[in-house]
Amino acid sequence: MLRYDVIVVGGGHNGLVCAAYLARAGRKVLVLERRERIGGAAVTEELFPGFRFSVFSYVVSLLRPEIIRDLELPRHGLHILPLESTLTPLENGDYLGQWNDHDHNRRELARHSVRDAEAYDEFGLMLHQMARAVKPLLAMAPPDPTSLSLGELFGMKRLAEHFQGLGARRFNTLTKLLTMSSADFLDEWFETEALKATKSASGIIGTLLGPRSPGTAYVLLHHYMGELDGVFRAWGFAKGGNGSVSAAIAGAAQAAGAEIRTSAPVSKVLIRGSKARGVVLEDGEEIRAKLVVSGADPRRTFLQLVGEEHLPDAFVDAIKRFRFRGASAKVNLALGEAPDFTCLPGRGAHLRGAISISPSVAYLERAYDEAKYGEVSRHPYMDIVIPSMIDPSMAPPGKHVMSIFVQYAPYHVNGGWTDARREALGDTVVETLSQYAPNLKNAILHRQVVTPADIERIVGLTEGNIFQGELSLQQMFFLRPVPAWAKYRTPLSGLYQCGAGTHPGGGVMGASGRNAALQILGAA
Amino acid sequence: MSKAIVIGGGTDALVAAQMLARAGREVITLEGNTARDEGWVPPKVLRELRLEGLKLEWPDPWLTVPLPGGGRLELWRDMARSVDAIRRVSEHDAGRWPEFCSRIARLARFLEAVYAAPPPDPLSARFALRARRLGALGLADLLRILPMPVAELLDDWFENAALKGALGAAGVLHLLQGPRSGGTAFRFLHHHVGCPPGVFRPPRSNIVELLHRLPRVELQQAELMRISVRGGAVAGVVLKDGRELEASTVVSGVDPRRSLLELVEPGWLDPELVRALRHVRRRGVAARIRLELDRSPGFSALALAPSLDYLERAYDEAKHGRVSRQPYIEARCEGSRMEVLVQYAPYGVACRGLLEKTVALLGEHWGDAQPQQTEFASPRELEDSEGWPEGQPHHAELSLDQALWMRPLPELARYRTPIEGLWLCGPAMHPGAGIAGAAGLNCAHAILGR
Amino acid sequence: MLKATPFHERTAALCLSHAWRRWAGYIVASSYELSHEREYHAIRAAAALFDVSPLYKYRIRGKDAARLLDHVVTRDVQAMKVGQVAYTPWCDAAGKVLDDGTIARLDETTFRMTAAEPNLRWLQDNAAGFDTTIRDVSTSIAALSLQGPASRSILERLGELSPLKYFRLAEATLSGIPVSISRTGYTGDLGYELWVDSNQALPLWDALMEAGTPHGIVPAGMLALDVARIEAGLMLIDVDYVPARKALIESQTSSPYELDLGWAVNLKKERFIGRQALAAEAGRAPQWQFVGIEIEWSSLERLYAEVGLATRLPAAAWRTSVPIYAGNQQAGYATSGGWSPLLKKYIALAHLQARWAAPGTQLEIEITVEHRRKRAAARVVKKPFFDPERKRA
Repeated sequence: MLRYDVIVVGGGHNGLVCAAYLARAGRKVLVLERRERIGGAAVTEELFPGFRFSVFSYVVSLLRPEIIRDLELPRHGLHILPLESTLTPLENGDYLGQWNDHDHNRRELARHSVRDAEAYDEFGLMLHQMARAVKPLLAMAPPDPTSLSLGELFGMKRLAEHFQGLGARRFNTLTKLLTMSSADFLDEWFETEALKATKSASGIIGTLLGPRSPGTAYVLLHHYMGELDGVFRAWGFAKGGNGSVSAAIAGAAQAAGAEIRTSAPVSKVLIRGSKARGVVLEDGEEIRAKLVVSGADPRRTFLQLVGEEHLPDAFVDAIKRFRFRGASAKVNLALGEAPDFTCLPGRGAHLRGAISISPSVAYLERAYDEAKYGEVSRHPYMDIVIPSMIDPSMAPPGKHVMSIFVQYAPYHVNGGWTDARREALGDTVVETLSQYAPNLKNAILHRQVVTPADIERIVGLTEGNIFQGELSLQQMFFLRPVPAWAKYRTPLSGLYQCGAGTHPGGGVMGASGRNAALQILGAA
Repeated sequence: MSKAIVIGGGTDALVAAQMLARAGREVITLEGNTARDEGWVPPKVLRELRLEGLKLEWPDPWLTVPLPGGGRLELWRDMARSVDAIRRVSEHDAGRWPEFCSRIARLARFLEAVYAAPPPDPLSARFALRARRLGALGLADLLRILPMPVAELLDDWFENAALKGALGAAGVLHLLQGPRSGGTAFRFLHHHVGCPPGVFRPPRSNIVELLHRLPRVELQQAELMRISVRGGAVAGVVLKDGRELEASTVVSGVDPRRSLLELVEPGWLDPELVRALRHVRRRGVAARIRLELDRSPGFSALALAPSLDYLERAYDEAKHGRVSRQPYIEARCEGSRMEVLVQYAPYGVACRGLLEKTVALLGEHWGDAQPQQTEFASPRELEDSEGWPEGQPHHAELSLDQALWMRPLPELARYRTPIEGLWLCGPAMHPGAGIAGAAGLNCAHAILGR
Repeated sequence: MLKATPFHERTAALCLSHAWRRWAGYIVASSYELSHEREYHAIRAAAALFDVSPLYKYRIRGKDAARLLDHVVTRDVQAMKVGQVAYTPWCDAAGKVLDDGTIARLDETTFRMTAAEPNLRWLQDNAAGFDTTIRDVSTSIAALSLQGPASRSILERLGELSPLKYFRLAEATLSGIPVSISRTGYTGDLGYELWVDSNQALPLWDALMEAGTPHGIVPAGMLALDVARIEAGLMLIDVDYVPARKALIESQTSSPYELDLGWAVNLKKERFIGRQALAAEAGRAPQWQFVGIEIEWSSLERLYAEVGLATRLPAAAWRTSVPIYAGNQQAGYATSGGWSPLLKKYIALAHLQARWAAPGTQLEIEITVEHRRKRAAARVVKKPFFDPERKRA
């Protein structure tokens, strides 16, 4: 008799969400995690005594409200603290602030452009409508347009009806959002460079694309997804760092009866008679289950854990074409004092929000240009938060931790990621940031630089792509990870996929894990 | 019978004028003859105008690609010949060529059907059924390829840099994008419409000559000042010399922004439409050089793009407002006469030395031939001489968000404007952008209520 | 953070209640004294002085200035005389109200427009092809509103003032300060709005207060103004209607006809934004009407007596949505209301479906008495509730 109904390979947040939903439905679930801690790229580690880092992902921006509610995550310790603002220091010593309060924000925008201050509300309303239009798609297992089965045809019909229901105007705006570059899209609304650049930046996170690349406008929606439910406010900074998100989900899973084993690296899916029957650990231990769900990315899952020989040729070709091309890095700093920004001196409210080094679209585009040809951006884009300003428990009193997300640092960097190149990246980041906050260098007590190669090595994300695969239209929705296999199933009977390499893609969302679980439970 | 005035002398305007004349309307055309003979002509246009004797021509080899170590790769109309030629540079690519061509050709046939009609409603069952006829593989290809960068498409299939560079250029012609930009695979596909499998450049045709053989529609070589509107409907046009011509139908083949924002008095259009029109992107990026050589250059069509990265770097410069220091060059010859496209020379940026540089680069490939006469036109000059807004021959860039039911804007995609009796045809309308005459035909049908 | 008006130095010193509120990103006083009562009565019995600087103001100038504004708003601007002021809504292409404000013709080619919302972008985008310059003078012009039977006398003490008709404008010098004076206001009473250069704001305030004290001038805040404007039957943006730009769903938008502003829609104009939609709507009867409601005191009294209480009504006006019923059906909803100390009536402004909107129609309005939802008898009446002769005299 099998001890487990389901084995989930990988204790990343999607795997944990999947496990929690399955456990709550009465399945006996075992989660196997390679590292000694669960969380995947959503972890908090005390790298230096007293200093706690969200080593990889660092904000809660997209965690699905239905998951927070269904799994009762606040009961399991999730506490999301608001991020109040975004500060964009400018190269001329000025800055652009974006604030939560409507009047405050409008006044600041008007300082740069009265037209932009007026357009901002309309822009927000438009994105709100777009977010509402897209929201149902996130919780959906995408229908297969190439299939002739009645179920799929109905699925496509329902999808078409949903879009028809938006009305022509909104449908066309959505089409523009899907096909345009974020720079072109924003040019239609705003004139302030720093505003366009900072908003565009959310369009390029986790991709090897620039703000002028068609297809990046879509990601502008992401922030609005979190805002859609008003006060529910599903985005901000998790108290205790992103590890607490994973811990809460794991807690919910365990409370429902799921078992979690760490330091249990899976080497292969156990296949007998063309069916997945369980897994084999690196030390040879075999564990059997009725179903196996992989939270690993598609390349790792199919080419490594399963093996080409067990899969159809066309499927393998398509998986090999699925692109990763990570280009993000992290620099985590332990600071002896808070950074002091020349453009807005002192310990103001702006330190409790995000700081974006994105002074203009051209700045971002040049950073991208360098990465295209295998170089690290000399003047990188950065998204910075100072978690200790929001949650003092992250650092010793009076000291701080700074989390710097950096682009672009291409996985396929010319010459490869050596130790020297890693340190050079760290130096570039510190140099660039010091131009805006001169006290930074002397304030640094410790530094950790995480390159795409490190992300791959430590977390298991292929080519260090934080979304388990690029979020480009040609590999999204019913094409993610490959056409005809976008519903969390795989060609191997008994094997499912639940990571961000499936719809709706990455960010700490949990939607893939939930959707996969619902598919398995037949409830979707 | 009520009069119709057709503005603009492009192929679409000519077709629209002919169609209206055939339906018994009294038609006057204004603003001269700027029709070009490039591009595929949908059979429907020929049928309805009863045009016979259309010749579509591709040079053979349709493209000559210089190779890095010297030597050339020639791509032929005959598939087997191309395979042989490619085999000499890459065994792998030669093996992939036939399947690549057949899969892309299938998608091009699909687009041809779409282009033969007014823009489809993407959510309609009709369109879905049509797409399904591609089969599972074809449909998956379509959905993946439409938004892809042409560089990714080519990287999926081929390894040889020069081959990919030459093919990739078809994805960015007349577009301010590089081969790594999304939507350029669509452009590549668009270019392939009407071409035989394995030929990835548009044909030249004698469509203009054929159209001119038709019974002439009255042509006035007069300059237009504005389109007059009364009570929300078109009343006619006013010429620069002060004359007023009355008409209940005005068809403009001039680009939409000029038609609606410059030729029509302000106040007749909704502010949102005005805003959207101003944002239609129509940035010209190519300079044109016409050369007369003293002898044949030894190739019929040449593309200088040693790799996809070469094209991408050329684009990078244009992106930041500069002329590419190492531009993409494509030359097409008839005997000793050569027409050259040089990209990227963004509109409004001075093209110092570009003519000399291009001649020098081409000169490396045309043996002992000497240029006798050269004529250089930057996008700004093309705007003046050809009437191409910002030097963009397609009037509106063919990017994915300005294509099909969104071309040039969703509100205008069906040729009708909010001003009663005022219609739009021309390359900025579906299918436009190098597909000769179809927009004019569709527009005429819409006017005649068919 | 939040902005302060050019009068803030004076108003802050006077705000004993510390009751501030936001208006267009500024802070303004809700009341100066601990209660707004005296401020309200000053409007009707003497003179109240309001700081209305947060209004958005635009100067439109040029050969096509009249043509541009005529294109944007629903009223006939080209026919306006120099020195005339017009109150008008303006709409989007679907004929739904975006905002409402006044247009003053300063000379043949110069206009000043006020608005509740920022409209620079709207004006600029619509100005393409028109020969005009548009300047946002919201911060460079400070504005005061002096309302009440003593208002004229106060102004006459400060300078030469030729007789100014209702909704007319004149340039004057008050206490040596150049001021543009319009006989307009938001109280439905005799009153004037004063438009002055921001750097002359404080001297003007001081001059008015000095001249006005013997006449009973009282600085007044928004609470007092709210009561007066409801008595005058005047709508307030974001309270009585949702501007089309902010509407999340179509049913939140309103056409001018639905706001009792049909008189301000001039369909004889060949073209203006929204004309087509409005012409079509004018052909049908509007589905909704914006009317006055009087709530029967005896009905209220009975409801409170039932629970052993004397009738308790809030002193300040309310700005919430309150359902109104016709039998079992909901006839509509009130959006502003309150007790009128002058008329001694409980009044409200409401949106009612057309078939229940005729004056005299008997309806019921919801009221919560001791935690329970009740209904009080109410009657539809024509607006305004208060319309004194002196307003136009």
